[in-house]
Amino acid sequence: MANKKILIVEDDPDVRQGLSLRLRANGYDIFFAGDVVTSLIEARKHQPDLIILDLGLPAGDGFLVIERLKAAEALAAIPIIVVSARAGVANQERALAAGVKAFLQKPVDNGELLAVIQKTLGAPAQPGEPAHLSQPNRRRVLL
Amino acid sequence: MKEKALQVLLVEDNAGDARLLREMFSKEKPDSFELTHLLRMSEATVHLAKGGVDIVLLDMGLPDGHGLDTVRRAHAAAPSVPVIVLTGLDDEALAAEAMKEGAQDYLIKGQIENRALPRALRHAIERHRMQTETDLILTHQMQFKDEFLSHVSHELRSPMTAIYQFVTILLDRLAGELNPEQYEYLEIVLRNVKQLQSMINDLVEVTRVQEGKLTIDLQCTSVSDAIAYTVGTLQGAARGKGVTLSLDSSPLLPLAYADPTRIRQILIILVDNAIKFTPANGAVKVQARMLDEDPQFMVIEISDSGCGISPEMTERIFERLYQVPENGQAGRKGLGLGLYICKELVTRQAGRIWVMSSPQGSIFSFTLPVFSLAHAISPLLKNREWPSDSVALVTIEVGSPDGLLSKETREEWSREIRNLLQRCVIPDLDVLLPKMGPGGRGELFQVVAFADEKGVTVLTKRIREQFQRLNHSRGPGFTCSTSYRLLEPAQAKADVSIEDLANEMAARIENLIKSEKSGRTVSYGQ
Repeated sequence: MANKKILIVEDDPDVRQGLSLRLRANGYDIFFAGDVVTSLIEARKHQPDLIILDLGLPAGDGFLVIERLKAAEALAAIPIIVVSARAGVANQERALAAGVKAFLQKPVDNGELLAVIQKTLGAPAQPGEPAHLSQPNRRRVLL
Repeated sequence: MKEKALQVLLVEDNAGDARLLREMFSKEKPDSFELTHLLRMSEATVHLAKGGVDIVLLDMGLPDGHGLDTVRRAHAAAPSVPVIVLTGLDDEALAAEAMKEGAQDYLIKGQIENRALPRALRHAIERHRMQTETDLILTHQMQFKDEFLSHVSHELRSPMTAIYQFVTILLDRLAGELNPEQYEYLEIVLRNVKQLQSMINDLVEVTRVQEGKLTIDLQCTSVSDAIAYTVGTLQGAARGKGVTLSLDSSPLLPLAYADPTRIRQILIILVDNAIKFTPANGAVKVQARMLDEDPQFMVIEISDSGCGISPEMTERIFERLYQVPENGQAGRKGLGLGLYICKELVTRQAGRIWVMSSPQGSIFSFTLPVFSLAHAISPLLKNREWPSDSVALVTIEVGSPDGLLSKETREEWSREIRNLLQRCVIPDLDVLLPKMGPGGRGELFQVVAFADEKGVTVLTKRIREQFQRLNHSRGPGFTCSTSYRLLEPAQAKADVSIEDLANEMAARIENLIKSEKSGRTVSYGQ
């Protein structure tokens, strides 16, 4: 079975890289975008199974991305998970009302993020335990 | 440059006193003061409200106003105009009170020296101006600080995210093998990252407190569960420090009427602090029991065998940003926000928090109200003919819309549904019970209604209509099903007190809730 594709829309290159390392290790194919326009171009090009979206983006913001995605017939069905530093119920309400599947606050725990991704995609990317176990008593080697 | 004449308003009903003061002013340079003399408070307030007055000389015994009341009224009419009160020789105590109410100064009639009057006026005006400026600066500073806190805590999250990600990537060996030393050091980094995270969360929480955005979701909840959760979560940290962490909560402890998330938050802060301030081989214990003095409250105690807190600190320790001064103990300080947050959270749940301390250790205690169903329904029993009135327990199960909601959003929706149900019930006839713990897949809401079968039908119809309207306005989402059980009529008893009645009914309703199998269910969805 082919790997599921995830598009990460995030303007901070370090966060982007960290996120993609983690998700690749869990069997996902990763694409990036760092701004509103690129995110739409990349979404069209790769038709991802899921989009992870930051709200604070240069030239516009995550809400604009959601709006444009939902307005495009070919992209409207792609589930979106927001991972943002912006707190507050108002932002969450707005994002969920716009059709986002989940809203997570930065810094998001690896375990939580992977669980939400799996639930949103409907099935684990790989059989077996997910690779998110940096807990004191659970040393394990991955891959 | 010629100075503008100071506009002085003299409010004095005694002609002799007024004459004396006028004469003093007449000795000053012409055009340095302009005096307006009024006899009554009512005239004075009208004049003040018009504006243009620089200072008020106010007698505290007027025909239509007396004592501190005159000062308050002058302030209300013109908050930015300084006031000097005029008192008699035996009234200095009253003058002191007037100063507390905001008067700038006081002059004792018959004791005013010629040159002292203009000086007193000018000084009062100057002091008042400086005071106003200082207040303004303080307000701006507070505003700036809150905005700053909010901004900084937000901006800190992105770099924190990157650090967390890469440390866990290394720890999980996604970038290759680690030797034991490297692993250990990275774990130290991770531990500190988590500490920073919790500080940022504290900052955000305090900002919410300041902005009045702290939400408390009161419901029936088990304090024992919250204690078990906290002890479980912090057991590792305690073991790491060689501190014994134990719990002792009575199995008979009733449910509290409080917010379970907030209780855990309070406990985590208090237990974490206790571990931090307890040396190796020490002990931290969490206990819960009924409060001896008041059976409507329970008390939760966190005791440690640390160095204790000096008596003068025990009050101040709950203040914002307060930190216990250096005590030679190893370890680092926090931000001094944890206990402040605790106090806010406890107070908002109608509890109290305090600390008792000795050199052998400290005991932090806080109270929470006990939930009593009898208490909740007793207002309904007044003016009611019992047992002829029929009582029903109506259960509403609400399925939340799909999607993985954050806890915050779920709580927000739960509140929204509660508000909706609150609008459906009739205050004298029905009580919407607080949340009784997690329901099945959806959220359970229960209403005790003084209604027979017909009445229940009307109520459930109203509820379903409201839900349809809600779903209509925000798109498909909530599913709602209602069911009800009628309480069997009780035996008629003469001279039963409302309290006994409430207890008896509460017991029967509790049984119903426990045995809640299937009533008559009406469902509708999507």
